[in-house]
Amino acid sequence: MGAVRLFGILMTVTLVSGAATAAFAQTSEPDSRQAVVEQAQSEKAGSLHPYVPSRAERLITQLENALVNATTTWHPYFQNAYSGGGFALGAGYMRHVSPYNFVDVRGSYSVSGYKLAEAEFSAPRLFHRRGQLSMIGGWRDATEVGFYGFGSNTTLSNRANYAFDQPYGGARMTFWPTRRLFMLRGGVDVARWSLTDPTGRSPSVQAVYTPATLPGLGTVTTLRHSQATVGIDSRLSDGYARRGGFYGVTAHDFSDNDSRFGFRQVDYEAIQHIPILRETWVISLRGLASTTWRKNGQQIPFFTLPSLGGGSNLRGFSSWRFRDQNSLLLQAEWRIMVNRFFDTAVFYDTGKVAANRSDLDFDGLRNDYGFGARFHSPFATVFRIDVARSREGTRLVFASSAVF
Amino acid sequence: MRTKRMTLLFIAAAIVTALCGSVATTSPHFYRDDPITREPESQDASGAASSEIGQMYEMVYNLVARRDYKPSGLRARNLNTIDEVPDSSWFTNRVGARRLTVDELVRGPIVGAPPDPSRWVIFREKTSGAHPGVTARDAKGETWFLEFDPPYYPEAATGAVVVATKFFWALGYNQVESFLTTFDPKNVTFDPKATLRRPNGKRTPFTHDDLDAILEKVARRADGTYRVVAGRLLPGKVLGNFRYEGTRPDDPNDVVPHEHRRELRALRVFGAWTNLTDLKSANTIDTLEQENGRTIVKHWLQDVGSTFGMNNDFHEWDLSWEHFFETGTTMKRLVSFGFALSPWQTVNYTEAPSIGKFEGQRFDPRTWRPQTPTTAYLELRDDDAFWAAQRVGAFNDEMIRAIVHTGEFSDAANEKALADIIIQRRDKILRTYLPAVNPIVSPRLDGGKLTFDNAAVMARVAESPQTYRASWFEFDNATGNTRALLATSSGTTTIEAPSGLPAAVGGFVGVDISAESTEFPAWRRPVRVYFRRESNDWKLVGLERIPEDGSIQRATR
Repeated sequence: MGAVRLFGILMTVTLVSGAATAAFAQTSEPDSRQAVVEQAQSEKAGSLHPYVPSRAERLITQLENALVNATTTWHPYFQNAYSGGGFALGAGYMRHVSPYNFVDVRGSYSVSGYKLAEAEFSAPRLFHRRGQLSMIGGWRDATEVGFYGFGSNTTLSNRANYAFDQPYGGARMTFWPTRRLFMLRGGVDVARWSLTDPTGRSPSVQAVYTPATLPGLGTVTTLRHSQATVGIDSRLSDGYARRGGFYGVTAHDFSDNDSRFGFRQVDYEAIQHIPILRETWVISLRGLASTTWRKNGQQIPFFTLPSLGGGSNLRGFSSWRFRDQNSLLLQAEWRIMVNRFFDTAVFYDTGKVAANRSDLDFDGLRNDYGFGARFHSPFATVFRIDVARSREGTRLVFASSAVF
Repeated sequence: MRTKRMTLLFIAAAIVTALCGSVATTSPHFYRDDPITREPESQDASGAASSEIGQMYEMVYNLVARRDYKPSGLRARNLNTIDEVPDSSWFTNRVGARRLTVDELVRGPIVGAPPDPSRWVIFREKTSGAHPGVTARDAKGETWFLEFDPPYYPEAATGAVVVATKFFWALGYNQVESFLTTFDPKNVTFDPKATLRRPNGKRTPFTHDDLDAILEKVARRADGTYRVVAGRLLPGKVLGNFRYEGTRPDDPNDVVPHEHRRELRALRVFGAWTNLTDLKSANTIDTLEQENGRTIVKHWLQDVGSTFGMNNDFHEWDLSWEHFFETGTTMKRLVSFGFALSPWQTVNYTEAPSIGKFEGQRFDPRTWRPQTPTTAYLELRDDDAFWAAQRVGAFNDEMIRAIVHTGEFSDAANEKALADIIIQRRDKILRTYLPAVNPIVSPRLDGGKLTFDNAAVMARVAESPQTYRASWFEFDNATGNTRALLATSSGTTTIEAPSGLPAAVGGFVGVDISAESTEFPAWRRPVRVYFRRESNDWKLVGLERIPEDGSIQRATR
């Protein structure tokens, strides 16, 4: 009996509540399509809030702001103190000192112990955007730079090492009289070359050579260097280009304080990028010849001689592999556009050094070949890896700049 | 025993409660106001705040995070019951929905007077768009965004903006009023407060040298003046860009996820037609506007200038053929040393001062690619594409040529070539998307006869099918129950209705209309239509081209 009564009570409550629900539903249930939509909008109106970006969106937006809109920024720095120091890692801090001009203070340390600390002032917009000025000062320490003797016929077993630490400073101005194509560049710099005891397995140059056989050895030399370039540059950027070219001549003058070391050097450089099939492929060619003249019987320090070997010229050879008073370099790359940010390349480098300008011919050229991969933006090469093969083995090149 | 009985009693009561609830919340299939023609915006949106989407984030998200995105297959969510898109703050039915005169088309979104270029007062840089420009006030003091042509396409960029805004306006999108006009440096002054954001992040006075820096990069006429396109400042408060997925959390009226808005999905078709390759959120804008005494958010396709082969770089050969990054083509070119060619490497572009990299011969709407996809782009179904293709098909040759003429191209041959390509691409879109689904449209039930049209046959992209079939059924609007009636058929687009259709006002009848075509088997899938008995006739209240059955309709390959 009690159970039946309880059932009755439950049914009553249930039916009443059901009826109430139905009545409520009938009053609130939309009776038109417009009302259905309006009800959804009304419900949303009770829970409005500003857009909240996800963590990934916040991070990427911060990165974008740092890269595109940054005014003061820390940045990674991969430039080595001197060619041949191996992979270098460092950091820089850039700060604008005026709307366009900025100072960048940076440093790096390489796997071979090369050290770099420098500051650069850049004024990229001078003379109504016709001129750019760069002033740089710093100090670097190179601990095991190779020297293999003069000429192209040296062997790896000839290697001796030298080291130096060097304070340096200079300024360089680039001027585009017609804003594009025609380029003038001039600069002066001063560097003190102070040779120190090298590290590494190879013997020291002091142990192999004498100041008589190797000019510059055993001295602390302060070299003043001035240079001037005249060129035609039709590339969109020298950091990354798929068409256009550069043709230029650069004259250098080196002198020291006591007229012991002094010489002149002229570099002749030609670069041409030839796009094929809508830039699917680019044939990139470069020729560079450097010739030197002694001034009034003065000498050329061995460490400033034209050289070949390293990540931007004869890539299959170690840095500074060949040195002499004149050099010739020819490079060809077949660049393949993989996507908008990534290229690969098959390359061939050849060149020689010679004591006499008349010997800069095609006999006895040293050559290498290889394959490379490059990550780039529209105007700059961000990261380059080249694998180069020569008769002296296979070398891996990591760089944060274009080869040419 | 007593406990067991109590338990049973509670279960019984619960079932009754559930049934009451379910009865009370059942909704009719069709409401009295179906099909609606205007999407309501009932709430005040004045609290919506500005927010921007980072371009790098959007690119990474769309290219990487959405790389393996599987479309939901869901039917668009902003449709009325007859498979159409109602007017809204996003979209206004124009071409295809009503007859547009040539005068209306060439006027496009323009409602006000053109700028007076006898004087320009520069006060800021241009903040959007791919090509160089400035923000300036004209001689009448009105604010305009001026955009120049690149030197290698001296009429194409400005022409593309003017022509494309008219196409997209006619297609139904909110568009900026844009005019071709003249910029004469001799008539330029600088607002004393004019500033430019510098690399150091600070704004300093805008100088003649800054203007020179812009003018050096743009096409200059022989008389020293510049052809520019002037975009009128949008009314209302700018809220930043809209996104192609989700809803604005601060807009109460925005209740349909953007990826499920048909007009946003359809940009894949309209974009392919006009080659709108820069289909990113940064080219959209939301504004707060007063409408009918209420503040609402209005949604604009702000910049449609990346059309007809124009973008921001002369060397972008792969535009419209590949996204910025695609794993497949990257691997293909990587392993083949570039010898595995993509179409863009050999396609014959019609390039001219007034035409960018644009062509119609090898164009395929299904393989067309914007620089980055959007979620709405990925959600396009065949019924969305069919809807879009109908609108593209609503532009006849005369209309297209009239719109292209507003680009004021100096070479009539180039103008004709541009219009010819647009016509060619239109025809390809019609051939691709109209026959891909059952193309029955405009069903009418009158005088005992069901009449309809075949959009693909009318567009001359398909032959008439051998037979049309109609399977009739009564429909109970309250319960959704159906009762089969007879099936009838015909060799034409008129089919006799069976006897015994509901005679009472408010009664519903449904028809599944299919077609037997050996060429297009997809036409066997019926289009389901519903009619409601009115006092004197039958009113079309429902049309479902592809059901919501979870099967994904891929409008692409």
